[in-house]
Amino acid sequence: MIETVALTKAFGSKVALAAIDMVVPDGSIYGLVGPNGSGKTTLLRILAGLRRPTSGEVRLGARPGEVAVLPDTPHFDSWLTGREVASIAQRLSDPHGDPGQVDAVLQDAGLAEAAGRRVGGYSRGMLQRLGVACTIVGKPRLLLLDEPASALDPQGRREVLDLIARLRGTATVLFSSHILGDVQEVCDTVGVLDDGRLLFQGPLESLLIGAAVPRYTVRLRPPLEPIALSLRSADWVDSVEVVPPDQLLVRVRSLEAAESKLPETLAAAGARVVSYAPEEISLERAFLELTR
Amino acid sequence: MSLWRLEVLRLVRTRRWVALFSVYLFFGFLGPVTARYLRDIVSFAGGDRSGVTITFPAAIPADGMARYVSNAVQIGTLVTVVVAAGALAFDSPPEMGVFLRSRVNRVSSILLPRLVIPFLAASAAFVIGALAAWYETWALIGALDTSRLLLGIGFGIVFIAFVVALVAAVAQWSRGLLATVMASVVALLVLPILGIASAVGRWLPTSLAQALANLPAGGEISPYIGASVVTMVSIAGLVWLALIGARRREL
Repeated sequence: MIETVALTKAFGSKVALAAIDMVVPDGSIYGLVGPNGSGKTTLLRILAGLRRPTSGEVRLGARPGEVAVLPDTPHFDSWLTGREVASIAQRLSDPHGDPGQVDAVLQDAGLAEAAGRRVGGYSRGMLQRLGVACTIVGKPRLLLLDEPASALDPQGRREVLDLIARLRGTATVLFSSHILGDVQEVCDTVGVLDDGRLLFQGPLESLLIGAAVPRYTVRLRPPLEPIALSLRSADWVDSVEVVPPDQLLVRVRSLEAAESKLPETLAAAGARVVSYAPEEISLERAFLELTR
Repeated sequence: MSLWRLEVLRLVRTRRWVALFSVYLFFGFLGPVTARYLRDIVSFAGGDRSGVTITFPAAIPADGMARYVSNAVQIGTLVTVVVAAGALAFDSPPEMGVFLRSRVNRVSSILLPRLVIPFLAASAAFVIGALAAWYETWALIGALDTSRLLLGIGFGIVFIAFVVALVAAVAQWSRGLLATVMASVVALLVLPILGIASAVGRWLPTSLAQALANLPAGGEISPYIGASVVTMVSIAGLVWLALIGARRREL
C-alpha cells in the first residue's frame, strides 16, 4: 500500500528524514514509533502529500480521495458543530456516502451527545475524537494518523484504539505514536524511527524477539557481588547488572541456555534465591535497545 | 456540507457580514447628511469663535456620493481585507489546512469559494451602502445622474474584486492571518502613493475606488475604463499567484 524508496527530507542543513525505505503492507496496521523530533510527523505529511521530499520516491496504492489524514492536534472552525465538521469531511472525501454515516461515526467516537455543540467548546480530547471520526467517515483505504490517542483519557484511548483495530482488513492504517503500549496493542507491523533513520521495520513479533536481548531478573539475599561474579564467568551469560538492594539483571545469549543452566549456576555459587524469571519483552524495552 | 455553504456560514456565524454591511450602510447614510449639513455641523462645533468666518459653497448632489466614497473606501476596504483574510488564510493554523488539503484533489476547490463568497458579500455591502447614499442624496440635496452612478458602482465592485484577489495572493505567500492583513493593507496603501509619484496613477486599480465620487460629479469615464482593464488583468494575475502559492505551500 505504501512504499518509499530512499525518501529524504532536509530543512536547510538539518536532515529530518535520511533515506527511508519503508513498506506498509496492504491491510496492515503499521505503528511508527520514535521519540519526539525523530521525523514521524514529517514522514506522515510527505506521505499525505502535504510536504515535498528533498529526494527519494513515494508510492501509494491509494488515490488522493482515498487517503485520510489526522494531524496530532486537530483544529476546526470553532463556530461549526461537531456534526457539521464530520459532514464536511464526508462531503469532501465520500460525496455520495450515506449521510447517516456521520452520526454513526460520531457515536463510535463517543461524541453522540456533543455532536450538536460548537467545537469551540470541545476539550482537546474531544477534538481528537472528532478528528478520528472525520478520518473514518469517508471510508478511506489508507489512514495516516499522527498520535491519534495522545490527548485522550484512558477511556478515550481505549475507544480510539478499538476504532483503529476494527479497521484491520478493511483499510491500511499507518499511525505514529510515542505511547508504545498503544502500538503494541493494535499494530501488527512496526517501524522504529530515530533521528530521521528507520532503525527497524517488520512484524511486531520480529522486533520483540529479534531486537531485544533476552534477560532474566534474579532476586536474592545479599551479598550480590559474588553471585554476579560467578554468573559473569558462565559462557551463556552476556552481562550481569547489579541492582541494589537485591536484584541481578542477567542478559543471556539464549533463553534455552538460561532455562537449563541458571538454576545450577546459582546453586553452585551458593545463592539464596528469592525468585527468578525471564523479563517480559516489551516494545518499550525493544525500542530502548534499538535507540540507545 | 459543501465548501460554499461553509463560507456562507463563516460570514453568518462569525457576524462578519454585520461588520461589512454596518460599515457601508453607516457611511451610506452619514455621507449625504454631512454633505448637506456641513455648514451647520461646523457651526455647532464652534467654527466662528476665533472670529474667522468659514463660507461653504451650497451642497450639490455629487457631494453626497463623494462623502460616502471618502469614508467607505478607507474603513470599508479595511473591513473587506479583514473578512477576506479570515477566509483565505486557511492554512492558519496548519492543522486547519491539513483537514482541508488532505481531502481535496485540487487546492483550487478550497480557494474558489473563499474568493467568491467574501467578494460577493463585500460587493453587496458596498452596493447597499451606495444605494442608501443615493437615496439620501436625492432626498436631502437633489437627484444624481443614474447611469453615471451605476457605472461608478460597477467600477467600485471591480476595485473590491481586486482587494479580495490581492488578499488571496498575500494569504498564500505569507504565514498567518495577521501577516496577511498587514501585508495586504500595506500593499493597498503603497499603490496610491505610487500613483501620486508617477503618471500611472490613473491606471492603478485604486483609482477605481474614486469613480463613484467623480463620475456623478461629471468626471471623465475613459480613465476608469483603462484602469478597469488593468485591474482585471491584475485580478487574473493575483488569482494565479494565489493558486501557485497554495500549491507550493508545505504544511
